[in-house]
Amino acid sequence: MLLSLLFLIGSLATTIAISALADSHSDYHEQLLLRPLHPSLLLASFNFQSNTSLTSFNQQNFRYFPRSLGQILQHANTRELHLRFSLGRWDAENWGARPWGGAREGGTGVELWAWVEAETDDEADQRWLTLTNALSGLFCASLNFIDSTRTTRPVVSFHPSGNHSNSTLSNLHLLHGTLPREVVCTENLTPFLKLLPCKGKAGISSLLDGHKLFDASWQSMSIDVRPICSPGADDCQLQITQTIDMVLDLQRSKRPRDNPIPRPVPQEELKCDTSKPYHSDDTCFPLDAASQEEEFSLSHIFGHSLRGTCPLANDGAPSVCINVPHAREVYASEGAREEKDSSGYMRCFQLSPDKDFDMVLPQQEISEKAPLAQPLLYAERSFIGYGQERGGVQAILTNPSPTDAVDFVYMESLPWFMKLYLHTLKAKINGQDKDTIKEMYYRPALDRKRGTQLEVRILIPANSTLVLTYDFEKAILRYTEYPPDANRGFDIAPAVITIGDVSIRTTSLLLPLPTPDFSMPYNVIILTSTVMALSFGFIFNLLVRRFVAMDEADQWDVRAIRLKFAATIRRLARRFKKYEKIQKTE
Amino acid sequence: MKLSNFLSLPVVLASLLAPATVAAEHTSNWAVLVSTSRFWFNYRHLANVLSLYRTVKRLGIPDSQIILMLPDDMACNPRNAFPGTVYSNADRAVDLYGDNIEVDYRGYEVTVENFIRLLTDRVGEEMPRSKRLLTDDRSNILVYMTGHGGNEFLKFQDAEEISAFDLADAFEQMWEKKRYHELLFMIDTCQANTMYSKIYSPNIIATGSSEIDQSSYSHHADNDVGVAVIDRYTYYNLDFLEKEVREPSSKKTLGDLFDSYDESKIHSHPGVRWDLFPGAEQGGRERLVMDFFGNVQNVEVDNAGNSTQLAEDLLLLSKKISELRQQADATEGAEKNATTPQPIKGSHMVRKIGAAKVEADHRSWDKTAMGVWALVGCSLVWWAGEHMQPSV
Repeated sequence: MLLSLLFLIGSLATTIAISALADSHSDYHEQLLLRPLHPSLLLASFNFQSNTSLTSFNQQNFRYFPRSLGQILQHANTRELHLRFSLGRWDAENWGARPWGGAREGGTGVELWAWVEAETDDEADQRWLTLTNALSGLFCASLNFIDSTRTTRPVVSFHPSGNHSNSTLSNLHLLHGTLPREVVCTENLTPFLKLLPCKGKAGISSLLDGHKLFDASWQSMSIDVRPICSPGADDCQLQITQTIDMVLDLQRSKRPRDNPIPRPVPQEELKCDTSKPYHSDDTCFPLDAASQEEEFSLSHIFGHSLRGTCPLANDGAPSVCINVPHAREVYASEGAREEKDSSGYMRCFQLSPDKDFDMVLPQQEISEKAPLAQPLLYAERSFIGYGQERGGVQAILTNPSPTDAVDFVYMESLPWFMKLYLHTLKAKINGQDKDTIKEMYYRPALDRKRGTQLEVRILIPANSTLVLTYDFEKAILRYTEYPPDANRGFDIAPAVITIGDVSIRTTSLLLPLPTPDFSMPYNVIILTSTVMALSFGFIFNLLVRRFVAMDEADQWDVRAIRLKFAATIRRLARRFKKYEKIQKTE
Repeated sequence: MKLSNFLSLPVVLASLLAPATVAAEHTSNWAVLVSTSRFWFNYRHLANVLSLYRTVKRLGIPDSQIILMLPDDMACNPRNAFPGTVYSNADRAVDLYGDNIEVDYRGYEVTVENFIRLLTDRVGEEMPRSKRLLTDDRSNILVYMTGHGGNEFLKFQDAEEISAFDLADAFEQMWEKKRYHELLFMIDTCQANTMYSKIYSPNIIATGSSEIDQSSYSHHADNDVGVAVIDRYTYYNLDFLEKEVREPSSKKTLGDLFDSYDESKIHSHPGVRWDLFPGAEQGGRERLVMDFFGNVQNVEVDNAGNSTQLAEDLLLLSKKISELRQQADATEGAEKNATTPQPIKGSHMVRKIGAAKVEADHRSWDKTAMGVWALVGCSLVWWAGEHMQPSV
């Protein structure tokens, strides 16, 4: 009895010790930040972060780190990974700076970059192939299409964000690939949620729903894995950060899901500007609703309320925050504790673990707004030129700061069939040619083997606009190289602009290539074959047949040949007999 | 003693024969669901496939054993008024895309080549497991295809086509490589019955929506989605599966399913091919619907009850493993010894051509001046030669 009790206590103690050990090495926290944007939009930023000690990761001892992803990383010797799924355009003029300074954001479609440990470049390529294929299976995306033509090795645009030891650093290879055409949809969200410790069942991840996420004006999903070594500690941590940012249109998301098609507002519900001179029963100038803050609640815009907290999130930090002035009325459901911070524009909610949480912001007339952070740079990029043979690209980069110059790296990775003329690369500042390009790294394209890679370091002075232009030639593809929907055009990956830790991506471009009418080759083949068959038949006839007159033809019929043949045999036989007779007479 | 031994012979024989009878059953179920049409107006083909996907998932086949091929994105298509959803009925009761979906091949990946590679498992070693058909000779497979087709062909993405011969050869290769036990091939396209006419491998039941020179038609359109949402043949198949095959214990047979086809409703003549199946029509009709649409796993235990035998086998196996390990270690050690004397460090020097730094040329004026000097020098020499010539 005593023995068993002792044993029980002992085992209990070890369990506690083990769990304490695990807790000291691994943690998990999640946070949702809401920020209303003008007009009637809402930015929702979900952040999920967990740390695992590198030794337990290497021993395949996974606690918060998803096993499926962890084993892929180990198999492909990947030390740092960044994966992005994005959709839409961030409207910097109205929405200000990007969430996370653009660091958790990718270009339209899918973007992947990773530091792979390998002895040689070929080995790195092989591991990159393994990595992209494995991730394509895990995330239901065509990441296996990131082949050598879409892979680049940027020189100055990307730097490892984790801490790597010097011995591994020398063997690390940075590989970067983009798929601007890739659609991002529910099948990508499903595996994303499965990587989370609470799997979208509890905590803020329970708000994530494909129907809302893929209806957003802009959205970005990211996964970052990096090692972190604090100077004092001897063991390093492996950190996985998953984020989802989306800009929801409040009007759209309030529509009922089974009936999302908008109908015109009935006339009696229209709010008209009665001060207009032409205002009457049948004419209406709609009132600007900008001074009114829109009414919304969490359950309205996400379809359901937040289901408790994730019990594995153990840091005690508030899990839902909203960036509105303190004067704005916010009603939270019972059990949640509100904390306002001193800046006057942020309040957070500590949720009760097992209760549903909802938050209501009523309609309110309020002039005060939470300040928007100004972006360091505005960037836009478009095609110039015309025709099927050549074209040009123009990137307009504006530095809004009245005092500070901005030093940045502009990176383009273009497909091989868009042939860049480097000598046409021009940078104009405020319409004048100036020597603003500080550094340039360039790798020309090889047909069907690799694309163009261009990195340009530029210094843009305060309060000026830089226009970067270059020309290119469109290649003509082979018949089988066209995709099934070739007439849609070919997507060109966004340019990546790096300013220290901040990064900005332009939108992707749609390049129309000369596309043949694919039924035409068949017409040509059929016509050519007919002509060839006719001429061949004619010549063949001439060669093997003998043409004779009608009256001569009788001599050439089968009977005549047979008779002739028989006559020849008879003649031969006769001659033989004669010979015999001669012999006998001798 | 001798006699008792003799008497026990039939028992031994029976136990020897037992696996043979068990071999008639399958131990896993797989589904390959393929839509072959791109573009928004072919919404119904993706809805067909997704309906089947939901049905086989409902009846127990897990996502890991379903290969879903969707050539276009309908749920997140900008034309879709219902973002993130695909419906196969105008009542919009069931969202087929839902919250939990795994698409294995999508977009440009849906090609004839990839489809045949999937069936025959001729894939590169980097291919993830979720995109492979990991079946064996005890797997029942449901192959469902839909798209636009014609006499003995089915178009893929409006760009290429698979012929009935390609399909028949792929199935034959699967049979030769012991990749299926029984296979149900189902196709919904125009002139669908021609697609299975060339199949020649055993243990296949094939069914199609329409005869040669017959079109297959869509069932109805949803005016808010804006296009037809499902095809007739698939609609009535699903109708049967939803109404009659409600749970995995259902005893409905393939005969019941095929008898439920009503030509006046389907508007074409569905066909069934039994001749490749052992027992022909009689045998095929008795197969349960759940044998192909569900996931009924027959567990097979060798030498049940004979635990000492099992223990002995395990012991033998562990001995074998340790032996193999030793062997592997030895060869590895030998390899290491062999390779250590010749370091291949030189391979590190072979770097791929990376981006090169483009240096601005600051000495362009010097070069211009040099060029001008060279030109002037040349003309001077010529001029001098011209004038120094002794005048004759």
